[in-house]
Amino acid sequence: MSKETEYAIEVERLTKRYGELPAVNDISFTVRKGEVFAFLGVNGAGKTTTVEIIETIRTPTSGKVSLLEMDATKRKRDIVPRIGVLPQGFNSFDRITVRETIQYYSRLFSCRNSDIDGLIELVDLKEKAKVQFKDLSGGLKQRLGIAVALVNDPEVVFLDEPTTGLDPRSRREVWEVLLGLKNKGKTVFLTTHYMEEAELLADRVAIIAKGKIIAMDSPAKLIEDNANYMILTLQSVEESASGIIRKIGFEPVHDTHRNIKVRLEHTDDVQKILHAIKDGGASFLGLDVRKPNLEEVFLKLTGETLQENPAGERGAG
Amino acid sequence: MNLQVVGANLVVSIKSFYRDKTVVFFRIAFPVILILVFGTIFMERDNEIFDLYVQDLDQTESSAQIVKAIGLSGRFKITHVSPDVNAAQYAKDNKRNLVLVIPKGSEASLMHRMGLNDPDTFVSLTQIYDPSSFGVSTKIQVLHMVLAGINQKMSGKPPFIKTAEISILTKKYRFIEFFVPGIIAMAVMTASLYGSVNVNAELRQKGVIRKLSTTPITRTDWILSNVLYQFILAVISTIVMLLVSYSVFKVSLEINAWMLVFVALDVFAFVGLGMILTSVAKEAESAAAAADALMFPMMFLSGTFFPVEMMPEFLQTFAKVLPLYYVNEGLRASMVSVDHMAALRYAAAIGVFAAVVFILGMRITSLSEEVT
Repeated sequence: MSKETEYAIEVERLTKRYGELPAVNDISFTVRKGEVFAFLGVNGAGKTTTVEIIETIRTPTSGKVSLLEMDATKRKRDIVPRIGVLPQGFNSFDRITVRETIQYYSRLFSCRNSDIDGLIELVDLKEKAKVQFKDLSGGLKQRLGIAVALVNDPEVVFLDEPTTGLDPRSRREVWEVLLGLKNKGKTVFLTTHYMEEAELLADRVAIIAKGKIIAMDSPAKLIEDNANYMILTLQSVEESASGIIRKIGFEPVHDTHRNIKVRLEHTDDVQKILHAIKDGGASFLGLDVRKPNLEEVFLKLTGETLQENPAGERGAG
Repeated sequence: MNLQVVGANLVVSIKSFYRDKTVVFFRIAFPVILILVFGTIFMERDNEIFDLYVQDLDQTESSAQIVKAIGLSGRFKITHVSPDVNAAQYAKDNKRNLVLVIPKGSEASLMHRMGLNDPDTFVSLTQIYDPSSFGVSTKIQVLHMVLAGINQKMSGKPPFIKTAEISILTKKYRFIEFFVPGIIAMAVMTASLYGSVNVNAELRQKGVIRKLSTTPITRTDWILSNVLYQFILAVISTIVMLLVSYSVFKVSLEINAWMLVFVALDVFAFVGLGMILTSVAKEAESAAAAADALMFPMMFLSGTFFPVEMMPEFLQTFAKVLPLYYVNEGLRASMVSVDHMAALRYAAAIGVFAAVVFILGMRITSLSEEVT
């Protein structure tokens, strides 16, 4: 009985095939009520397919999906009024204003008491309330999409790539809104390929690659379990430093800005490398020692780098 | 069905319509422009006076009388061509599609015929014409009729065969009365088909349908609101077309309930066809191209611009399988000839077609990404 009240989403052995191609391959996970859960993966990893099955848009090939204790494949009518969805690359009617768009979706949900002004304020679109959808920037459209997703005061909010294609400033504006949702205690299911986004917003993260979940935990725990080392970055280093570092048993990696990164197992290794460089007569402009971030964990686990989609491009994740 | 949802959709559709000036132009103004342009052209043709260039090589009293008689028929405005020029070259250089040449010796031939009572003597008028010119054959036919009348009068005997006209219609109708119902049928078809394709394919491509599939709106709500929207616009557009036709051309068209029935059936038939096209061709562009491929033959072959009776027999048979033919003929039966039984027959034919395509369209249209 306690399980029934604890989880907003329960996915068990979910598989979705398109012909012979498995988009989602036998995955299982749960999302607790009030939790922000992030699905992290490259384009085509199976993120959007999974989220669309949970949202009742797609049907699974096999497996069980339960949303708010209801079978997602059979009870669409009961589920839909209780969830809010921001689809990937949110779009709406071109010549309808911000306020009218929110009003329209509010009527679709038969919400007589929707706080339209409150939603407009929540996503900081008060000044754009009378602007038509076609005249909004990408970031403003996404913020409107979030307001629309909240119009029925949903118990679970699905946000599919909410910041893809946005410039860094717009992305941070959207994050502000999402942090507000988190603070309100909403259950949020987020799909993203931005590590920073997942790290900032999510209580738990599932890393998905080629349709399989390969790791799932809180961002801090994922880093701790999968990256028990440090990274030393030497900035603007002379060419000769690589050879010196290699000589004392470390493997330096160059990046495009004449920086060198070295993976270290112990804190003493920092001193060892700095002394060797000084003795070898090489120089550098600055240094940085830090624990790895989620991106490096992702890299280690999947062997793939996370890259931005071209703006506006949609892909079934 | 949720009326609040249908209403919300209707409001969004109507706002989207009047805020898009291009759509307003093509939906309301374009059919009106067609009526004004074609109406003006064909009103002129109903009472057309042809230009006729005449070269009188005889230059006698008799030849002048022939020219005068042609002019008195009221069908030609005559311009004299100098007898010194080459008539064929003159026609070519000045782009004259018909030059009538009265030969030298015409009066002498006439005198010979009348004086000697010789019926085998005649004068041959030469028609120099441009066969590539539109309408020249009609002009030549009219000239022959006028010349036949002059011959008859010159014989001095009353004609044996006379004709009397009895119209099957109560009033005298002009081309514009034929044309306006055709334009109404065509405008409603175009808007319904394109409207349906745009709503279903473009919004799907933009992802709006995907978003809607995560709301409580049902397929029935969605389709019903779209049909209602198309019907409202079709009625507005029809009213505007009729107002312009009455005020500019003083048309004599009967307005009755059949007109609304045919407009509604036109909407249902072509919204249904649009839904089918959208389901077959997923991309907005290919659905619009398929709509074009269906619409253009229908516009020209189903009697919108000219009666199907003017076409070869095999095309007339083909016209009768086109749904727009039944809307055209039905509207004309109700508005021009006011033949209720004929209107009923045409309504039954287009009604069956509309029911089949609309039900089929509804069945294969889905707000879901997968079930289409």
